[in-house]
Amino acid sequence: MKKIILSLFCSSLMLATSCVDSLDDYNLSQKEAAAVPSETLFTNAVKGLTDALTSASVNSNNYRFYVQHWTATTYLDEPRYNMTSRTIPQAMWQSLYRDVLSDLKESKRLAMENTATIESVKNNQLAQIEIMEVYAWSVLLNTFGDVPYSEALDPENSLPVYDDAQTTYNAILGRLNNALTLINPTAEGYEDGDLLYEGDMEKWVKFGNSLKLKLAMVIADADAAQARTLVEAAAPNVFTSNADNTVFRYLGAQPNNNPVSNSVTGPYSTREDYVAANTLVDVMNDLKDPRRGQFFTQVGGEYKGGIYGFTNSYPDFSTVSAKVAAPDNPGLLLDYSEVKFLLAEALERGFAVGGTAQEHYNEAIKASITYWGGTDAEATAYLAQPSVAYATAAGDWKEKIGTQKWIALYNRGYDAWVEWRRLDAPTLLPPVEGLVVPLRMIYPVNEATLNGANKAAASSAIGGDSSDTALWWDVE
Amino acid sequence: MKKILLLGLTLFLASAMAFAQGRNVSGTVTSAEDGEPIPGATVLVKGTTVGAATDVNGKYSLSIPDNGTVLVFSFIGMATKEVPISGQTVIDVVLDYDAAELSEVAVTAMGIERNKNELAYSAQEVQGDQVSRVRSSDFVATLSGKVAGLDVRSDNTMGGSTNVVIRGYSSISGNNQALFVIDGVPVSNANNSPSAVDFGNAAADINPDNIESINVLKGAAATALYGSRAANGVIMITTKKGKKNSMNIAINSGVIWSSMDKSTFAEYQKEYGAGYIQSFRASQDMGSGEAPVVRFQDDASYGPAFNPNLQVYHWDAVDPTSPNYGKTKPWVAAQNDPSSYYETGLNSNQSITISGGGDETTFNLGYTRNDIKGNLPNSTIDKDMINFNAAYNATEKLTVSASANYTRTKGVGRYGVGYNGTNPNQQFRQWWQTNVDVEEQKSAYFRNRQNDTWNWNGANTGPIYSDNIYWSRYENYSNDTRDNIYGYVMLDYKLTDWMSIMGRATLSATTDMQEERLAVGSAGVPFYSRYNRDFKESNYDLMLNFKKNISEDFTFNGLLGANLRREETSSIDASTNGGLVVPRLYSLSNTVNPINPPTEEYFRRGVDGIYANANFGYKEKLFLELSARQDKSTTLPKGDNSYFYPAAGLNYVLNDAFKNVSWISAGKIRANYAEVGNDAPSLSVYDIYFKPTGFGSIPLFSLPSTKNNSNLKPERQKSYEAGLELDFFNSLFGFDFTVYQSNTVDQILPVDITAATGYTRRFVNAGEVQNKGIEVSAYVTPIQTNNFTWDMRLNFARNRNEVISLYGEGDSRVTNVPLASFQGGVSVNAAVGHPYGVIRGNDFVYTNGERTVDENGYYMVDSDASKIIGDPNPDWMGGINNTFTYKGLSLAFLIDIRKGGDVWSLDRWYGDGTGIYPVTAGLNDRGNPSRLPVAEGGGMLLPGVKEDGTRNDIYAENQNGDGQTALGYAANNYVGTPRSLYIYDGSYVKLRELVLSYSLPTSLFGQNSAVKRIDLQLVGRNLWIIHKNMEYSDPEEGLGNGNSARGYQSGAYPAMRNYGFNVKLNF
Repeated sequence: MKKIILSLFCSSLMLATSCVDSLDDYNLSQKEAAAVPSETLFTNAVKGLTDALTSASVNSNNYRFYVQHWTATTYLDEPRYNMTSRTIPQAMWQSLYRDVLSDLKESKRLAMENTATIESVKNNQLAQIEIMEVYAWSVLLNTFGDVPYSEALDPENSLPVYDDAQTTYNAILGRLNNALTLINPTAEGYEDGDLLYEGDMEKWVKFGNSLKLKLAMVIADADAAQARTLVEAAAPNVFTSNADNTVFRYLGAQPNNNPVSNSVTGPYSTREDYVAANTLVDVMNDLKDPRRGQFFTQVGGEYKGGIYGFTNSYPDFSTVSAKVAAPDNPGLLLDYSEVKFLLAEALERGFAVGGTAQEHYNEAIKASITYWGGTDAEATAYLAQPSVAYATAAGDWKEKIGTQKWIALYNRGYDAWVEWRRLDAPTLLPPVEGLVVPLRMIYPVNEATLNGANKAAASSAIGGDSSDTALWWDVE
Repeated sequence: MKKILLLGLTLFLASAMAFAQGRNVSGTVTSAEDGEPIPGATVLVKGTTVGAATDVNGKYSLSIPDNGTVLVFSFIGMATKEVPISGQTVIDVVLDYDAAELSEVAVTAMGIERNKNELAYSAQEVQGDQVSRVRSSDFVATLSGKVAGLDVRSDNTMGGSTNVVIRGYSSISGNNQALFVIDGVPVSNANNSPSAVDFGNAAADINPDNIESINVLKGAAATALYGSRAANGVIMITTKKGKKNSMNIAINSGVIWSSMDKSTFAEYQKEYGAGYIQSFRASQDMGSGEAPVVRFQDDASYGPAFNPNLQVYHWDAVDPTSPNYGKTKPWVAAQNDPSSYYETGLNSNQSITISGGGDETTFNLGYTRNDIKGNLPNSTIDKDMINFNAAYNATEKLTVSASANYTRTKGVGRYGVGYNGTNPNQQFRQWWQTNVDVEEQKSAYFRNRQNDTWNWNGANTGPIYSDNIYWSRYENYSNDTRDNIYGYVMLDYKLTDWMSIMGRATLSATTDMQEERLAVGSAGVPFYSRYNRDFKESNYDLMLNFKKNISEDFTFNGLLGANLRREETSSIDASTNGGLVVPRLYSLSNTVNPINPPTEEYFRRGVDGIYANANFGYKEKLFLELSARQDKSTTLPKGDNSYFYPAAGLNYVLNDAFKNVSWISAGKIRANYAEVGNDAPSLSVYDIYFKPTGFGSIPLFSLPSTKNNSNLKPERQKSYEAGLELDFFNSLFGFDFTVYQSNTVDQILPVDITAATGYTRRFVNAGEVQNKGIEVSAYVTPIQTNNFTWDMRLNFARNRNEVISLYGEGDSRVTNVPLASFQGGVSVNAAVGHPYGVIRGNDFVYTNGERTVDENGYYMVDSDASKIIGDPNPDWMGGINNTFTYKGLSLAFLIDIRKGGDVWSLDRWYGDGTGIYPVTAGLNDRGNPSRLPVAEGGGMLLPGVKEDGTRNDIYAENQNGDGQTALGYAANNYVGTPRSLYIYDGSYVKLRELVLSYSLPTSLFGQNSAVKRIDLQLVGRNLWIIHKNMEYSDPEEGLGNGNSARGYQSGAYPAMRNYGFNVKLNF
């Protein structure tokens, strides 16, 4: 009896020990995919990039404050340039690396692996990915300065070095050129998943060249020769109308709505954190700008901006218009107006891009007014004012273009901030003495604990991890 | 063995009795615990050999010799009692359990009872009545202070979760909570909720009245047989069982009230009202002529000074249903501040237990009803608990037993925790206007059930940030149910007199349903969400038990076992999208936009273990214990998923060594070494893609933020422990002293990595955390007379924790892993060379060791946000338990002490910035209001030095609006105040429990009375915080449960004093 039980016991032990191995693999998730189409990652990355740049959350995107388009009603940390209490740099850093570049890299890997795609289509897909990658890298470079690049996006290397910003910038310009040569406009690329152009590769050629124009102009003060080459090469193939704009058409329902509508009064928020800043509203009032009604609400029949960087009572000032607050307001990554301003600037810099600075300037302003819903007549009347007309407007070409571009880039805080730093116009003063309008974003605070040595090296390389350290191209 | 001794003694005494002469004394000996008579208790005339044993009814009769003056009553496991005879002829005696005596038998891993002398590790027992006596609905919380080295943290929320950590935090990112095992059934204590509302954890679903005893197995050596999960220690709970040939009905009825301990709640300055700047909104005519309008939209109290002669429009002037509609009122501080929001809570607990048995069977059946009304408006928990267990000796060799327990918990209006609109303390402690009267908010809500907030938007049509606090409790409440089932079936078969076999199947299953809502009209997008979760764990055990005396001197105990564990968790979390169409209708279909795909989760885990244990004894003096276990887990990479770990211990009983030392009654020393392996979290091996909601009809996929690892290996804890136990003067005094060290290595860590890698977390196998410390538990009986006894139990534990390493080598060595980053710019971290959980943030700038101010008189802030500014680990913890017994009356109180343990307060950080607290107002040391401009003699003089090292004499502006508060979050515009200003010392001394019990004399009940015993109790819990260093808050309060929940307060709930009574009837 005893022996029988003992042997039963032993055999059940044996049974037990083989049991786990006889189960199906519990490490395989039953609810998550292990293989997906490359296009879905591309689409997600484009959405992630647009969200990051469009958002008006104080936790991640405060550029509308830095350029004094908006100001806050009550909480002054951000309009007074505090970047640490809300880990703002970290939010931007994460969006770009983890939510955008990582997915683009993975979509590229999957696209390359896909042997079913014909060569020309695959090349177009790779070009679409590459252009978006260059765009995303440029945002990182123009926000922080030196950032991890050559060792980035490798989870096996937790401590990637920070690369020199100018070297990296040149590298992505090279990649952009390569991407443009890959495109075959008659073949398809990503189509349904291309939320920007629905697979229209001719538009991608224009987008790529417009991006090239924009990125080249950024370095015009630091590396004029290269800027000239690139600008002149790109100019013939850039946007020719608002129909070419790189538009992201948001949907009405969360989470695919325009993120601005998560932060301002409307169906998705009851908060009243923002009013228009007097800095912008006063200028537009002086110019009787026809876009005011598209940009702002009225208070007592007039447009009135809150004092920048001070407490403002919400009902007393203009806030964002219903158009800007709408959940389905489109996001813009690049537009015709911007391109035209760049061409005007190119001529002032002596680059051969055709036309005159004034023509491009006029066309830029007109494109902006009509994009926002204004009429050609309004544009013409606006341009007829001596304070607007290129010949008579105040200041040098930088100030003329800078001021009008600053208005045209309303609701595109990041781009307005890049252009303001580059053109040094208009003059924006900090709300109180002792503060400095940020010239760059400081590195995320958690980089000190996650990648400390490399962050410290980069900080000293760029001249200090401070928001008043000018970036390498911001030389004037 | 004991029994034989006892029998011998009884016979001996009986024979002695025959010679006895003189007076006769008789009486009954009963047990204090259940009032049952004690058969076989010894009654001895002190200083003689005259004595008797009690019969089956606990009765005795004895002739007292002439020289006899005192009777000595004793029984195994009970404290010996001496009673002077002094002419009495009837002496009834109630015997209490004695800790020192009881510890002779300990329930060890796998529920095996062992003579404590055999154990080579520390195990501390708590009797059931020790946890049930204060009538708390969560017995886990009542363990605080009762066991050396047990760190129990529970928030002051209704039915909230409890964190139980033994011997410090050892796992950097894994679970650090002790495992709960009820009669062999493992029960998880994890908090399962995706939301900011604390729905509590399942360990609270045990009826404290049903607990016979709790045994805390602290070190790895004690728990190795439970395998992986027991690395953090085990709380073994033995429930009450019926006794053979008896019948007992016990009815328990108790009511506990609770009310706020005001020393743990915010106090408000009464000089200034609403606003970030010292002005009203422009004067308007809202119905009673032009008058200033309060800044409704400003959730701060840095506004204009109160002036009873100034008439202004308050928030109720725009509420058409208000009697003050369109009217002005004087500008004064509120009569009812937020402390009046807290209501008196009520906890009613009714239970009935029927237990007993026949010749071959025993059973225990109980039902408990628990109704809790919380301290916030509209908060309740109802619990029904049914428990049943039975055992049947089918044959002399075969015993069949089973248990089934069911608890249903229904909650309404559970408390939100942390920085969240569902937590009213976010308003009360951080964003508040001191002019707002809570009672007026209350009547505004009940007048028309609308959201008449004090925090109107610009158009005065609804809230901007803060809802009416009554609206949010009555409209935006959560509700939940939890069904919790656990039980077992077990067969024991005695193969021979030295070997038995046990087979057992256990099941523990919970079903949770949690619904949350935000009503139409609230701040934010209205929603309804529901979360359903099913969890099931089953265990199958087969175990051979050996007990054999190899020779006269050598004994052997052993076991050989196998365990199969299977866990399955599935959950679904769905929410409406973009708002609710029909107000007050809460269903997923009532969504404005089509709902997004719900979040589904499904995890499984299977672990197979085989284990063996052997205990060799030599002359009942020296014991050697060896155990080993091999586990195979599905959460590790297939093919490399098994791991082995051993334990060994040595124990030496010192009784013989002290044979000649009369005052040392017993002693032992012990030492052990043990390893425990641990597997990985589910689904951390293979990479997957994350699926965001599609963009319309366009599908999206994304790489997840965590990089998995297909090379994971088990983590391992290695520990040493040594202990000494001594007992003096026959248990008048004794102690158990333990030193230990444990190192957890190869930790499975989802570490934060720079997002530049494309991920923000990555699973690695690295890192080492060390815990070492001492534990002392002691007992002393300072006074013992015939009728009066004073017993003390003392617990002390000191743990030192250090993160030895993280991961990476050389230049790529990582020295810090953030566990959580919190609002206010502070983080909780595992940092090499520091204790686990250190708090980092911006520190002061120090000049010659003193805080430095800048040229405007504000504290300068060190630009390094990663300075270590606090350590949440306590220096030591202790408990002093006193029991005074006088006849049937007993008074017990427990003082619970924690020394050290830092807490960072977001409540003060924001509250000082918004001008709520008294420190933000009042007079400066020039005698002027500090909120006046410095130019007018105002401002605040902050203690410290200037940059040149001289004493600070610069007054800092104490105003807001321009971001210039001297304290708190808005100060200095740019970087704020040094975060270290808001680090508080979390030390406390608390009168944790106070219990006055009275057992009605048994003589009241006749021989045939149905009622055998009545106990009355007055109980109090958390009645008095004797000492603390943290103003306006309870230093114990944290963020629910989890590794980073301590050391940070945001929207802290005040402590509640509990007091009430309880009646217990035995039939």
